Amino acid sequence: MTAPTLTKDAAAPAAPAARAADAGRTAQPAGARHLPSLVRSSARRAGRGIWASGAILLFLLLWELGPTYLASPSTRVFLPPLHEVLRALGSLLAKGQLQNHLAASLTRSASGFGIAVVSAVALGLLVAWYRSLDRFLNPLLEVFRNTAALALLPVFTLLLGIGETSKISIVAYAAFFPVLLNTIAGVRTVDPLLIRAARSLGLSNFRLFQKVILPSAVPTIFTGIRMAGTSSILVLIAAEMVGAKAGLGYLIVNSQMSFLIPDMYAGILTVSLLGLLVNYLLVAVERHFSRWRTAVGSQSN
Amino acid sequence: MTRATGQAPKISLRDVGKQFTVRPSKDQPEGTTLTALEGITLDVAAGEFITLVGPSGSGKTTLLDLLAGLTRPDTGQVLVDGKEVTGPGRDRAVVFQQYALFPWRTAAANVAFGLEGPGSDGRRLSRKERTDKARHYLELVGLSGFEDRYPHELSGGMKQRVAIARSLAYEPDVLLMDEPFAALDAQTREQLQEELLRIWRSTGKTIIFITHGIDEAVYLGQRVAVLSSRPGRLKQIVDIDLGERSGDGDVRSDAVFVEHRHQVWSLLHDEVRKAQEAGHAKIRPDGSAPDEAPQLSKGQLSKGRAA
Ligand SMILES: Nc1ncnc2c1ncn2[C@@H]1O[C@H](COP(=O)(O)OP(=O)(O)O)[C@@H](O)[C@H]1O
Ligand SMILES: [Mg+2]
Repeated sequence: MTAPTLTKDAAAPAAPAARAADAGRTAQPAGARHLPSLVRSSARRAGRGIWASGAILLFLLLWELGPTYLASPSTRVFLPPLHEVLRALGSLLAKGQLQNHLAASLTRSASGFGIAVVSAVALGLLVAWYRSLDRFLNPLLEVFRNTAALALLPVFTLLLGIGETSKISIVAYAAFFPVLLNTIAGVRTVDPLLIRAARSLGLSNFRLFQKVILPSAVPTIFTGIRMAGTSSILVLIAAEMVGAKAGLGYLIVNSQMSFLIPDMYAGILTVSLLGLLVNYLLVAVERHFSRWRTAVGSQSN
Repeated sequence: MTRATGQAPKISLRDVGKQFTVRPSKDQPEGTTLTALEGITLDVAAGEFITLVGPSGSGKTTLLDLLAGLTRPDTGQVLVDGKEVTGPGRDRAVVFQQYALFPWRTAAANVAFGLEGPGSDGRRLSRKERTDKARHYLELVGLSGFEDRYPHELSGGMKQRVAIARSLAYEPDVLLMDEPFAALDAQTREQLQEELLRIWRSTGKTIIFITHGIDEAVYLGQRVAVLSSRPGRLKQIVDIDLGERSGDGDVRSDAVFVEHRHQVWSLLHDEVRKAQEAGHAKIRPDGSAPDEAPQLSKGQLSKGRAA
């Protein structure tokens, strides 16, 4: 990341003395001879960066210009150009409305997600450890798992009302199964050789669980947690669209009904940014916990 | 050499037998019992290095599991220090062919694994004591400076060194090794054989070393125990005396070595042939195909078999 600044400094002798000296000190080991290759490699990196964001930029460009030059005037009403959406986003931010909706959504999804992760990991460990519990519960879990969470939304609303409880519950429900299934799979796929090795060292069942089974299952569990994160946002937005007084889903639907079309798009844009951010964070966490795994052909897999 | 004359043996197998129930298959819907070991009687002296060879499926791993306390015998007794083995214990350590390192732990943390519980005297080591010990044993196996590497960053030979260090770290009296060098290339294997002998001399452990390599058995063992084909019985024990092996000379081309090697080879060859004649080789429950019948060449018995 520092490479472009370095080359610029070194190439511009007119730069202030202090900075030049500073840059010179850090750039010294590379030496002036390597300068061209340094420039080339950073140019290549920049080129790759432009290419990677090319599709996004094109899409945004199309969004900006399409409605103005390509669409019929009636369509333009329902599909405002990007700058109008951004202006709406700005004013929603300025009025503090967006923050309120975002906070409402985040609180709900975080609570539901948290409840799901804790309970699913706990149940998953129990089910994976006790075969008889697995045989007993598995058919029921299979039925629930294959029932789309949103299909149950009316049931949750009827039983728990349209308040926070029903929304948190449905998020928890949707996030529960990916974590549960991955926890079970993670424990099941522990290398039996590692268990033999630990047993030969005289570990008790509890220690075996704590020191071998759990750590070995952690990467798989985190894969489930990442999947759960994505689905918890998805389900929450849908739930908020059906019955809520705040939240991003509510913002989107309410703007549509009040014919505040740019606001609606601002809501959608926020949802997709939130989704990206959550996914990015969870991927980083997952990677952190799986860093002992080799990419391919690891003996532990 | 220390031999069990007068003093009580470290390890004592008395008429040990082990059977397995074979799950019902198409051919045998009833399910049958398979005798893996039968009437094994063997004493091993403290500080002795004994190697165990036998055709594939002759029950070598089964015997090691019994010694480790991972399974119990169906007949007879397994004694260590005169006491019956009822489960795994800190007086014995196992080294597996596939290393069995914990991939989420660094080399040092792997070595420290066995040090984390209460020790044999009930005392818990502090973190620093554990680190020091791990470092010491990694040094003993020639891996100084690799403390912070994860297993996937190490070569096969290095992994096995870590595994050996892990076994040595909690200071067992007995080292049980199940074809530990079988997955390594020839050069690394020779190097590790060398180091194992050095460690054995300097620590005085009792070592039971399973192998399917005849050269390896003769080179390492003070005695070579030859198992018969299934059901595994103790066919013969060959005393090995290669004199003082301190020089750099190639012991393996010594006349004495060659002679011992041939003796073990003949014993094994009979067994492999018998196994084939009895049809054992055709349907081997360990899953190896009939055309993979053990081939005796260059001191290697059936290379294709995984432990
Ligand atoms: N858990 C088990 N269940 C059934 N049969 C087994 C089991 N373990 C080993 N055997 C059988 O016992 C015999 C001896 O196996 P093993 O000790 O692994 O042989 P070796 O290590 O000498 O190749 C083989 O025929 C094998 O199939
Ligand atoms: Mg074996």
